[in-house]
Amino acid sequence: MNSVFKALSDPTRRRVLQLLRKRPMSAGELSDHFAVSKPTMSAHFSVLQNAGLIEAEKNGRTIVYRLKMSVLEETLLAFAQTVGWDMKAQGGARRAALKSGTRLRPLKQEG
Amino acid sequence: MAAKPIRNYIPPALIALNTLLVAENWYLRPQSAGAWFVVLLLLIGMTLALVLVSREPKEEAARRDTGGSVRSGIVTAGLILVISLGAKLAVALGAVHYGDIALRATMAIVGAFLAVTGNAIPKTLTPLAALHCDPAKVQAVQRLAGWIWALAGLAVAIAWLTLPINLAEAMSFLLLPSAILVTVGQAVWLRRAKPSAL
Repeated sequence: MNSVFKALSDPTRRRVLQLLRKRPMSAGELSDHFAVSKPTMSAHFSVLQNAGLIEAEKNGRTIVYRLKMSVLEETLLAFAQTVGWDMKAQGGARRAALKSGTRLRPLKQEG
Repeated sequence: MAAKPIRNYIPPALIALNTLLVAENWYLRPQSAGAWFVVLLLLIGMTLALVLVSREPKEEAARRDTGGSVRSGIVTAGLILVISLGAKLAVALGAVHYGDIALRATMAIVGAFLAVTGNAIPKTLTPLAALHCDPAKVQAVQRLAGWIWALAGLAVAIAWLTLPINLAEAMSFLLLPSAILVTVGQAVWLRRAKPSAL
């Protein structure tokens, strides 16, 4: 459960989950929505995968990500979105970026 | 020889406990012999399933899957029976004075079971290659089914714990068939939808 809270504490990861709620998407499609480097995005994907919130499946040469959230986890996501669990978000993303050896750029503002 | 994990002993222990409870209930209330006999038949069925699973050939992966799901089914059914038979026995022994406690407890557990099952529906994914429909629609249907069953189960459990019996009954008769109708309707809609590439 701790890994779920950790995964939901980052706004980028929450946005990924929101995008996946519409339909399964490839890694490239998802990355296009963010002004973050690909290694940073893969770090975010692996945090979500380790928490069991998304599942990756190889489809030819692309990796397709699918939502794998229970009703309770979706409720937690909605709660996190409303309350805004951003306290450690910047630190978490920075750690993910440091692990992958990339520098963070500011997030693109989404409509 | 390696020792068996403790979880392997839970299903037979539950079956044994339920057998004792049925025997005690039968002794105290012989006028309901038919009902106790049906429960006994159910327990015999559960024992047979357990024996069959443990005697399956040792193709490890397949065996673990089948055995695990049969054992967890027996544990769930066993827990439901333990609570309802225990409540019946408590009433028969005069330890509890609410005659409807067994019915309320059983229905609340059934509601909780539906809620837990509904909660897990969106987490069961079929490989994309095996899907014959649009993956986005399959996901939407699974999410909606999960929400419907989780909420309906929760409402049924709360109703049986808090409302008067006749109201709780009415609510269950309204909620559960509606949840089934919506889920079946969704499945039919999904079957009619044209498949599309991701």
